Amino acid sequence: MTAEVWMGYLVDHQPDFTVVQSPFVLEQSRVFGADSDATTLTVAGLLHRLNHEPISSLGVPEGIDADTLAAACNVHVQGEEDEGDPHWDVLLSDEATVVIVRQGAEVELSHFDVEIAVDPEFHTAMEAAWQQELNAAHVSQGAYVSKSQYEEAAKSRLTLEGQHGAKGVVWPPRYSSGQGDDEVKRHLLSPSGTVQSWTTLSAAGAPSEFALRAPLLGGISTVMLELHDGPKGVFLTVDDEEPTLDFGLSMELVLRRIYAQEGFVRYGLKARTIQD
Amino acid sequence: MSIRWYEMLRGDALAMVDVAVVGAGQTKYGNHPLGLKGMWAEAAAKAFSSVDGDFQPSLIDEAFIGSLAFGGSQLGNTAALLTEHSDLDGISVRRVENACASSGFAFRDAWMAIKSGQADVVVAGGIEKMNDLTPERRRYWLGVSGDTEWERLAGLTFPGTYALMARRYFHEFDSSHDDLVHVSVKNHLHGSTNPLAHIQKEVSFEKAASGFMVADPLTLYDCCPTSDGASCVVLAADHVAKSLTDTPVWVRGSGAASDHLALHDRPSITQLKATQQAANRAYGMAGVSAGQIDVAEVHDCFTIAEVLATEDLGFAMRGEGGQFAREGRGVLNQGQTTVNCSGGLKAKGHPLGATGTGQVVEVFKQLRGDVEHTRQVRDAEVGLTHNVGGSGATCAVHVFGRDRA
Repeated sequence: MTAEVWMGYLVDHQPDFTVVQSPFVLEQSRVFGADSDATTLTVAGLLHRLNHEPISSLGVPEGIDADTLAAACNVHVQGEEDEGDPHWDVLLSDEATVVIVRQGAEVELSHFDVEIAVDPEFHTAMEAAWQQELNAAHVSQGAYVSKSQYEEAAKSRLTLEGQHGAKGVVWPPRYSSGQGDDEVKRHLLSPSGTVQSWTTLSAAGAPSEFALRAPLLGGISTVMLELHDGPKGVFLTVDDEEPTLDFGLSMELVLRRIYAQEGFVRYGLKARTIQD
Repeated sequence: MSIRWYEMLRGDALAMVDVAVVGAGQTKYGNHPLGLKGMWAEAAAKAFSSVDGDFQPSLIDEAFIGSLAFGGSQLGNTAALLTEHSDLDGISVRRVENACASSGFAFRDAWMAIKSGQADVVVAGGIEKMNDLTPERRRYWLGVSGDTEWERLAGLTFPGTYALMARRYFHEFDSSHDDLVHVSVKNHLHGSTNPLAHIQKEVSFEKAASGFMVADPLTLYDCCPTSDGASCVVLAADHVAKSLTDTPVWVRGSGAASDHLALHDRPSITQLKATQQAANRAYGMAGVSAGQIDVAEVHDCFTIAEVLATEDLGFAMRGEGGQFAREGRGVLNQGQTTVNCSGGLKAKGHPLGATGTGQVVEVFKQLRGDVEHTRQVRDAEVGLTHNVGGSGATCAVHVFGRDRA
């Protein structure tokens, strides 16, 4: 079937389920892109589903970062303390595919006709690098962002939650209103903006937390975007696309893996050209 | 006009206390064979021996030492560790940290200590040992002074941050990478005759234009080296300074400011508001304008930083910093203001915490006519130092004069 491309993934939206699949193929099997995993696919699928209807509770299997999911999508992820079944479940397939399904509904897996072949050598090396990073004993010499620091800012990092300030919308939010009162008015920014500047750091000059993967990628690229709601931000570009950057180019922000340290993946928003 | 804090504390009469630099010294920058203690001892000894009169370290009331404590080997009580190697036992000491502007602010703190009347003779210095680390550890420490949580997770190091500024600058103004190459060539030229510089070698335009790409559009020749080094200056109240030297260099103005830590939080990324504010305050206090500065040591951690600084400090109009570099207006004795006659951070080197007071060492010597004649600024009467922390979150600017006012 012809797929809808959404946040760099293939999506099939049905009344009782949403299928999200990686567009990348290796030896006739779907594989994750260079900075994607089951969590990033699930977030994309949930955000797509949430455009159509609310999701009150969600059950997620092992292998998906429930905290990131909850922060990025503002959904309640069912925990052990919750009674009863969740209204929606996430199902994982072996082949870089995720299904978000209404409780009790039957799923007919979609077969998309979009396939992007990946280089086997690159894919193997990238997988090995992620595995090495994800080892709990792996501590890079990168600037340290602790788990609690990451989680404290997860909402503003993953959903672009900002606040109204004296001079307009401020992102990320501050611990003061900037308006001389105690009330902080939150504002969710639209996940898209235009390029103000960009750079590509050579592999040798990339921050050391990217040291394992930057050589495979030929360096890492960062863009400064002016978000459509006003504030600016800096974001990595997605790993599996090579956009031709220019001033004023419109880009969207999608959830991807940033890096892993101490067995814990730091997720964040990365920029990709709106080209679907 | 607002009342200065020290006028409120001490009254108008004591507000007349002037502060002079009476001694200054530094190590050679580069791969220094000594560690923290040895480098500090060397810089302090040079500073103390440069004082003309009968000077003993026992005269010193306070010491402020700037350092990022790169490498983390002596993060706590750094100043106390160092000063016992320079005969400063028992006095009040502390480390001052504002990233690359650490000793610019240490100098300001020393100046304020004398202005307040609490001290008569104060040491300001800075130090960094950077080359004893593995490349991986070095990259960690080079990235800790940005907004780590947001900029680092976006893959940015400081070369990357300044690369964003450079590309935007080229887009907004009539400028290209060639202008940055001119900055690099000039500073290498100046550094080639500075025996204390890390890199004492000229570089051709062609070579500087084709360097290894570090962070597009910045190449290796746009980036300062990673240097070890220490610097130390002795400041004195006017009533003491007269007994120590016949040729004091007066601190005529001190200004400092801060800005958002993260580059993306600033309305413009092609100007540093902290520099503009610090400079305006320093100029105002000194009663001089940018056009009266003969010699300026500006913070060129990357070549684009010098282009922006020439505008923010008022040596060039907004958007004309590239042209300033292209026309060679900062080259030794070629224009109104010689910029980075020491070689700047680009060639003299950038031992982070040592840079600010290292700039003061150069201006002190220039205004006294004490540098090698090959890089002496002619008839230098008024000098300026400009020390920036990170990508512009903090900045200290000082104006110096051979004359008191």
